[in-house]
Amino acid sequence: MFKNGLSYAGSILLMLIAHAAMLGIVLVRGSYTTPMDLVPLVLAVLGLDLAGIIAAALYRQMTYTLDIMLLTILGMSLIYQSCFGGIGLSLKHLITCIAALVACEIGFLLTRNHEWIRRHKPWIYGIIGVLVLAILFLTGGRSMWINIGSFSLQPSEFIKPCYILICAASIVELHKKIKILFFYVSVDTLCLCGATVLIFGLQWWCRDLGSLPTFAAIFGCALVCRLCYPRAKINKPAIAAMCIGGGMLAMAAWTLAPAYVQDRLHVDIWADQYGSGYQQCQALIGIARGGWLGAGPGQGYLHNVFAHESDIVFSTISEEWGLLYAGLTVVILLIMLTTTLMNPPKNYYHAMMAAGVTAAFLAQMALNIFGSCNLIPFTGVTLPFISMGGSSMMTCGFLVGMLKAAQSPLFHHEIKMGRKKTTRKTERRAQA
Amino acid sequence: MKSIRRGQHLITIMLLVFLAGFGYLLYRLQHNAGFYISHAKSTPLGYVYDRKGEILFDPEATAGKYDADYFIDIGNLIGDNSKQMTNTLVAQNLPALTNYSFTLGERSDGHAAIYCTLDHEVNRKVYDAFGAKDGCAVAYNYKTGEIYVCFSKPSVNILDGYSNIESLPEGSLLCTVFSPTVPGSMQKIATTAAAFETMGNAVLDKRYACAGSYTNLGGQVIRCHAAVGHGEQGLSEAFANSCNPFFAQLVEDPAWTLDDIAGVYRKMGYRINNEGEQTYLEFDGLSAYTASTTLIDKTDFNTQWGCMGQGMTLVSPLQMMVWQSAIANTTGISTLPYLIGHTTTVTGKTAQTASTAFGEAMFSEQTAASVREIMLENGRGHYAELLPGTDVGVKSGTAQVENGDKENSLLTGFVDDPAFPVAFCIRIDDRKSGEVTTSQIAAVLLQELKASLNE
Repeated sequence: MFKNGLSYAGSILLMLIAHAAMLGIVLVRGSYTTPMDLVPLVLAVLGLDLAGIIAAALYRQMTYTLDIMLLTILGMSLIYQSCFGGIGLSLKHLITCIAALVACEIGFLLTRNHEWIRRHKPWIYGIIGVLVLAILFLTGGRSMWINIGSFSLQPSEFIKPCYILICAASIVELHKKIKILFFYVSVDTLCLCGATVLIFGLQWWCRDLGSLPTFAAIFGCALVCRLCYPRAKINKPAIAAMCIGGGMLAMAAWTLAPAYVQDRLHVDIWADQYGSGYQQCQALIGIARGGWLGAGPGQGYLHNVFAHESDIVFSTISEEWGLLYAGLTVVILLIMLTTTLMNPPKNYYHAMMAAGVTAAFLAQMALNIFGSCNLIPFTGVTLPFISMGGSSMMTCGFLVGMLKAAQSPLFHHEIKMGRKKTTRKTERRAQA
Repeated sequence: MKSIRRGQHLITIMLLVFLAGFGYLLYRLQHNAGFYISHAKSTPLGYVYDRKGEILFDPEATAGKYDADYFIDIGNLIGDNSKQMTNTLVAQNLPALTNYSFTLGERSDGHAAIYCTLDHEVNRKVYDAFGAKDGCAVAYNYKTGEIYVCFSKPSVNILDGYSNIESLPEGSLLCTVFSPTVPGSMQKIATTAAAFETMGNAVLDKRYACAGSYTNLGGQVIRCHAAVGHGEQGLSEAFANSCNPFFAQLVEDPAWTLDDIAGVYRKMGYRINNEGEQTYLEFDGLSAYTASTTLIDKTDFNTQWGCMGQGMTLVSPLQMMVWQSAIANTTGISTLPYLIGHTTTVTGKTAQTASTAFGEAMFSEQTAASVREIMLENGRGHYAELLPGTDVGVKSGTAQVENGDKENSLLTGFVDDPAFPVAFCIRIDDRKSGEVTTSQIAAVLLQELKASLNE
């Protein structure tokens, strides 16, 4: 019933070969003093693989492809991040990789039961509200970051999965409309629109316009899924009005964007190579210097440039590992997203969730890769699983958990069984 | 289930859009990598050679490796990678010079190079012929577009490493062949072409008197350089005499309007009365000013003065030379110049080879033939010594600059020889009586170039 492409053992073998090959490249082409410098990294990568395999064996779902692919990409990410500027072990990144794996399982367990999510929808709105309040009152000024000692948290990252969940959970309530004045409206849609306005407004106020396209992509998917919903009853004039409204909003945003955004929209980076175009110019020079096969792990220059491990990480990888490896990394991320096509969702909730997660990932990948390579304005967002950053890693892990849930959902009979078990437990407690 | 499948389609579309963008990005990165790497702080660069293999740019040039003034004549034309000058061949073509490929990476032993059409030996001889005078000279093949000679004085010695940049004379870092200059009577070529284009050969029947000065219809006096005047004369004689009163009366002639003049001028590359954008002649990354003038009223002194190449009229020496191709070829179409013959990649493979290109039609073939004949007649009568045994079409001029305090001497023309089709333009700045003349420099240029090309 579920497709995985490769056998479980075959998938694990492929993952181990990929990591071993990368460690081999580090050994042959890397910048280190003695081979002993590589030991912590080798142990960390193989340890992560082993832990992942054991965890997957103990708690194996019918669709394991995503688990193995997540382990593969996390191992690659750990190797990349540990090699920037010299071979070592990025302990911080190792911890965030483990956090991402845990977040993935949590995401999977929490979101596979669509009825449970629907029942707890107010809680999700509540979490969004708490996160918004945290941004407003704990970040200190118009910022998106909460600094606790040497740790930094970005609450807006955690809003992403919550936003996808409310988009997905509200879709089946679309036909439940109530009359307000002269209009029949869906309460769920109103709440969703309210949350959207709140999130967009917050991003604008905090001058974090980099994440705005990600939320816009998720909202766009939610809108399309609603138009496709059989009982949506949305007529053509309404669709036309929505398109015009969307276009006008985009134009207004383009015109009213703050000066620094306008600057990024129109900047000629090569004319200001050592000013506002510095990061992108260095990123492109780094890619050119790396060529197809790269200068070698730890042999690049980009590690001297600000945000080399996050905002321009695609270029840093290209410089040290070559464009072939950087491209392969992107392909693996894309294959992770295509697993939804292999195991299609079984209901509207999971279909919307899968589309939302895909949109979020693709928007973020496009913003990071195309932005740093000067194809679109540079926004400074992270590349899923590859960039350094705990908030981003955990969120991406949770999102992959949601993607996994969309492929191996709980079916009605399982939900009913779950309900019966709960009822029996309650009865036993009552008897006791 | 159909609606759920639409969700799948949505995912597929998003993935395909991203893939298309990513594919385009890979192509762009690979295609523009040479440009990106040329902006790196240190990149291995190749050489620039002249048409005979002489080095014009060496990334590791030092005073000990070359004669002290080896690069002096080409300092502000070929330039270097120091980023002190922008409108130079090296600065504008760094990607082509970079010893790099996306597959091989940076190679200090690479074969990336630019092979120019310039003849460095002749270039230097003509440069030296200026002696102590400043100015510029440019010559090219009016059939193919290959530039043989191009320099401007004062220049910069790149071997000095810009340590003396504060003490360099003004304009040293700029090749003034590409800069606007007052054309003086060279402008009469354009006015003559406009007259032929509008009135045809009937203009040859026009005769006007010159008594040393002429009071125009606006009541203003146009003076001739010959105080006693030239008497009554036709266009050919007036062209040879560079007679201002004749051309003032020609401009006022009721047989044509100011729009007729402006129409031909525009086709010749002029920006008139600051209308529209200034045009530039772009080749091999270099940018050269074309021309500009002010035409208000046919009877006004300034308009007439502009039609004689003084006042507000500006033309680059390169543009004046390019006009000669339209005349010499009798096509009315200019041959566009180029300096890069071909380039080679890091592996030594020829990357790009120049080919002859032509501009828009400036005037008719009939006009070109008529102007050509007048210039040849002038050359035969006054400049036979330029290239003995060969006809040379010539027009000389004197341009008043700095409010008439200084006079630049100019000479432009073409050789009427299918085996040696060369057009040229020379300017000597602030030339005084008894000093080297433009015709002496032209003689050195043409004779040395002919000898060099025949080797």
